[in-house]
Amino acid sequence: MQTKIGKALVIGGGIGGIRSALDLAEFGYGVTLIERTPHIGGILSQLDYQFPTNRCGMCKMLPLVERDASSQFCLRKGLFHENIDIRLSTELASVEGEPGQFKVTLRQEKNPVNPELCIGCGKCVEVCPVDTADAFNAGLSTRKAIYLPVPHNIPNTYRIDTGVCTQCGACQDACPTGAIQLLDEGRITFNILVVDDELIVRDSLKEWLEVEGGFQVSMAESGPEALEHIKTHGCQLMLLDIKMPGMDGVEVLQKAKELFPDLPVVMMTAYATVETAVEAMKIGALDYLIKPFDPDALIPKVIQIYQNLSTPVGPELEVGAIVMSGGTSYYNPAEGKDTYGYGSLPDVVTSIEFERLLSGTGPSGGKLVRPSDGRPITRIAWLQCIGSRDTQSDADFCSTICCMYAIKEAMVARERAARDGAQLDTSIYYMDMRTFGKSFQRYRDRSEASGVAFKRGRVHSVVPDPSGEDLQLRWVATDGTVATDHADLVVLSVGQRPAEGAQALTDMLGIERNPWGFVQTEAFSLTRTARTGIVASGAFAGLKDISESVIQASAAALAASQTIHGAGGSIGLKDCPKTIYDDVARQLPRILVAICTCNNAVTKGLDQAALVHRLQNDPAVKQVHFLDHTCTAEGWQQLEDLIKKHRPNRVLIGACLPYVYTRKLKQLGRDVALDPRLMEVVDIRSASLQPEASDNPTAAGIERILTMGIARLRHASPNPVPTVPVFQRALVVGGGIAGMTAALSIADHGFEVDLIEQSDQLGGNLHWLHHLIDGQEIEPLLTETRDRVNHHPQIDVHLTTRIVAAFGQAGTFYSTIEDGDGQARQLTHGAAILATGGSEAATTAYGFGNSDRIITQKMLEAQLHDGAIDPKALKTVVMIQCVDSREEPRNYCSRVCCPTTLKHALALKNANPDLRIVVFYRDMMATGFMETYFTQARKAGVTFIPYTLDGKPEVAVGATGDQRLMVTAHEPFLDRPVEISADRVVLATGIVPSLPQDLVQAYGVDQDEDAFFQEAESKWRPVDALKEGVFACGICHSPRNIGESIATAEAAAERALRIIASERVASGSIIAGVHESLCALCERCIEACPYDARMLDPDGERIVVNPVMCQGCGACAAVCPNDAAYVEGFDADQVMEVIDAALN
Amino acid sequence: MKTAAAPPTRQDGAVPDREALHAIQKKIQACIQCGTCTASCPNEFAMDLTPRRLWRMVLMGETDAIFTSQTFTLCSACYSCTLRCPRGLPLTEAMHDLKQMAFRGHMSRYKPSTAFYGHFMNTIRRHGRIRETEFISRYFLTMTPSKPMLPLSYTGLGFKLFRKGKMAIEYPFAAPGKRSLEKIFQKVESMEASA
Repeated sequence: MQTKIGKALVIGGGIGGIRSALDLAEFGYGVTLIERTPHIGGILSQLDYQFPTNRCGMCKMLPLVERDASSQFCLRKGLFHENIDIRLSTELASVEGEPGQFKVTLRQEKNPVNPELCIGCGKCVEVCPVDTADAFNAGLSTRKAIYLPVPHNIPNTYRIDTGVCTQCGACQDACPTGAIQLLDEGRITFNILVVDDELIVRDSLKEWLEVEGGFQVSMAESGPEALEHIKTHGCQLMLLDIKMPGMDGVEVLQKAKELFPDLPVVMMTAYATVETAVEAMKIGALDYLIKPFDPDALIPKVIQIYQNLSTPVGPELEVGAIVMSGGTSYYNPAEGKDTYGYGSLPDVVTSIEFERLLSGTGPSGGKLVRPSDGRPITRIAWLQCIGSRDTQSDADFCSTICCMYAIKEAMVARERAARDGAQLDTSIYYMDMRTFGKSFQRYRDRSEASGVAFKRGRVHSVVPDPSGEDLQLRWVATDGTVATDHADLVVLSVGQRPAEGAQALTDMLGIERNPWGFVQTEAFSLTRTARTGIVASGAFAGLKDISESVIQASAAALAASQTIHGAGGSIGLKDCPKTIYDDVARQLPRILVAICTCNNAVTKGLDQAALVHRLQNDPAVKQVHFLDHTCTAEGWQQLEDLIKKHRPNRVLIGACLPYVYTRKLKQLGRDVALDPRLMEVVDIRSASLQPEASDNPTAAGIERILTMGIARLRHASPNPVPTVPVFQRALVVGGGIAGMTAALSIADHGFEVDLIEQSDQLGGNLHWLHHLIDGQEIEPLLTETRDRVNHHPQIDVHLTTRIVAAFGQAGTFYSTIEDGDGQARQLTHGAAILATGGSEAATTAYGFGNSDRIITQKMLEAQLHDGAIDPKALKTVVMIQCVDSREEPRNYCSRVCCPTTLKHALALKNANPDLRIVVFYRDMMATGFMETYFTQARKAGVTFIPYTLDGKPEVAVGATGDQRLMVTAHEPFLDRPVEISADRVVLATGIVPSLPQDLVQAYGVDQDEDAFFQEAESKWRPVDALKEGVFACGICHSPRNIGESIATAEAAAERALRIIASERVASGSIIAGVHESLCALCERCIEACPYDARMLDPDGERIVVNPVMCQGCGACAAVCPNDAAYVEGFDADQVMEVIDAALN
Repeated sequence: MKTAAAPPTRQDGAVPDREALHAIQKKIQACIQCGTCTASCPNEFAMDLTPRRLWRMVLMGETDAIFTSQTFTLCSACYSCTLRCPRGLPLTEAMHDLKQMAFRGHMSRYKPSTAFYGHFMNTIRRHGRIRETEFISRYFLTMTPSKPMLPLSYTGLGFKLFRKGKMAIEYPFAAPGKRSLEKIFQKVESMEASA
């Protein structure tokens, strides 16, 4: 893998942070990925199922080219990548410097468990006396103070929750490897000064902090006494009361800070003076504690503060760019009014808790049983908009994700119930079902067909049924019928909130927050902040689902990469060794077996000589050696010396935690010039811990594992990993804002780009769009982008040109273009980005065409701009949403129409407040912050009337001279017909893509059923085609607004850059091949290959496999009738031999 | 669905015009018709229009229909809707505004409510507290010319309340704190007059 000098810091190890880190790493930069919690994966480590597949699939984010640089197992379990340094339990401590040269320091929380020694046996958990709520199961179950943060992590090291640990030492005694070092010497000498005028407060704090916290505590009863104390004795932390007679806390704080500017001070305050405490933080207080104190909350907090203060800050790192990917947090329904009984009714759960109930690793092992009494669940109600679209909970925004996850949860629950043969009623109570993504509406329809009930109405509270058996919900249907429904489980679809710690992080980085508390980004960009080189990824800038977070993460990687490249970061690493391994292809296998005795812990009672003898019965095994500790530097050096001495061509290491060795093996390979694919680590440690079943199970188990490893290694292919050449140039089809952005993004990295546009000018839809809803002008964006494209030395713009033919595969494509004069020429490029755009859909609905007063939203935009419409001359305007949309055959939401309607309604109302505007809608898709404008439109007096598919409004053109338009419809809230005489009827017809089928086919990719680009996977590879090397962005990908289109363009560019970054890209070591002598050219394998990696050689005589595109899935080997197709590393002889060894 | 009452009579009090609704419209304009108010309302069963419908009509300026309805007179100001409204709209206050408009307009349709609220407040004004027997007697006196049998229809309930000690035989002018609220009432009157 090529490595460059550029470095990036990614803050946050959730899905967004992982995507950004992988993108930057695959481009060749060194990435430091820090995560505050002890595990990566963020919220997704808790979520097992994602729509539309209702499965996971996160592993699809792993690299597809240069696969061996990364781990290739379940991404929810863990991640390794050569270029990514993952640091868990780590936070940013400081940042200085300029874009391209930030100097950062990190603070890593100490963990009393040594990860190198912990073998995950769990003996510590058995003895731990502390029970506390398990955050992984959203508090639905309990765990011990020593615990696994995520039960399925690899590597999985136990951690101690120092906040609740009593330091009793039981785990330390129980640990068989001595991995736990509990005693924290620091606390005994850590002096805390408690300043309070009340004796009882001082005394109880002293008692708690000394006895339970293990700290040293001094006391002072007044400000002057406290100041005197710190002058004479000093202290490491001051707990300071605000309200004291004489000198108050704030004054003491000021004086103390004058004496000792670095003294950490925590204010103590009654609830009434919280504001003063917040003010005190502005003049240097670290935090505040609210009285009355709860020792269970206070002590962990003081311990936390102590740890932050006592944890040394790591060495300074220099990074070119910082990617903030802090994610979001979720609304806690127990806050605020809580009319849903959350926290008091055990069968009222949040959506995250329900995900845990569904999970096999959850509190009920995935069984659908009620938390209160364990009875099977039969009726579930989802309540939408909990903490969203609710100004009373400070949320004048739509959280965007909840509608879809509620549908998904209902579907998965139904599948689960069907599997168990149980009856399950599922109802979703909603106001607007915001199915705004391109496949969402069909997903909703599918769920409805499968029996999920959609009930339009907001449930205001949940009360227990008088019988005490289940829960009661009272709500009103659209027609006014008031109903009382029953459910035995209520799921609150909680909305998103700015991430915990977002404020501190953005303050440290000097980044503004928007009015909703999320990161403020630049106009038209979802990732760039006012500070160049500091970008927002994932949902950190607000209200994104997985798919959009992943797009945003790649876009953020691109923005970061531009800064790093600009500072010279793309230069190849000087001391990066060009590895040349010894050619061992023509040698017989010579295996060296090294067995780690783990200080005799593993090999206790093992007859070493006998084992050596048996292993050496195999002629391939040349040497067997026992080492004490391969995990230590010393042990590793011994191993290296052994290899250098004996020069084996295969190495088998029997040790523990094989995944820990990935990086070490690569280094060893370089040092001893042996391809690391010919070295393997097998886990003999687990076998030694198995309960004893027969005479000497350990010996048998270890021997079996070793012989299996020997069998695998004997057959390991000694041939070097194939690489394919890359033509380091990109082609972008379409010169709209997405195409231009993609071209610029790649060209800014120094690669040449051909930009193909069929019309005679660049700009696409930006030519007729004038303003965003927030008033931002669009014209400057167009002018600036077009000028940059036209003057960019690396971009070749081809106007009035189209693609007539193309073929090729990742790394090398050949595209034939034809210009306006019919001149054809061929372009070669390593990756292709399709950005062919789309347009407003044509319609004949609602009498469009019968009157020039029935217009579309696009026409209204033009008429408002050129003055053809005078809002002051209008009395009534009717707008109709979802024209021909969200119903077959165009059964998708175009996403931009509702915001456009709001924009135009507000503009009209602004120009003429007396104008009556009536909007007919099905579900207003005012997602995210757009909800604020929905509120504004209502406040401005716009009337919104919902309609259903079987009750669409009707538009009639008056026969008389003035030809007024008459709109008739049903007003569902009043349950009666309405008749509106309108001056204009404006239709929102939505977006149709202009992605020609022959173009898509030429590049070997697919269209979806609505002729949009078919992405490989809507969540995990949202801008990639299934075929590597082809990407799409803008509205030929999916309907989206300008900012979102730009994000897809940047994401597509980043994905393309990974490929064209190097002259050659390597495949993975597990790839398919063809035994040509056995191949009958039936071509079944070509059909079976999901990655388009196989094709018939042009001369038609053999099947060839593109090694880079092949992902080693084995579909070809499975369909081949002649065993001609095979997968390297899984050939029949080898697999049989391994099975034999396992059964021996 | 509830049946609407008979059309309003305009003889003794005009239905307020659409402009008059403007202030109330402003208060509730951000309404999203979610129905929380209706589902929260404990008196909704007795109302001819559900609260959500009433607000929809207010927003659409349908004064005739609004002032045909008894819905707002049935609001007992429990504030459940105001507490729960996701938009934070002052719905109880808006109900109160509608009552005010109806009572000030002296519409015969609202005579029972006007008389009820009027005597309630007057009793308080006189005694500084509510005196149930006096208050209900005065109410019956106002109502009997048009509905002579009205007091009889409450006989049963009256006896029940007496028996449980909820009502008592009171001497008309012997309450403590007499006239102590008068100043407040006068102040409010002068404020309202100048407003």
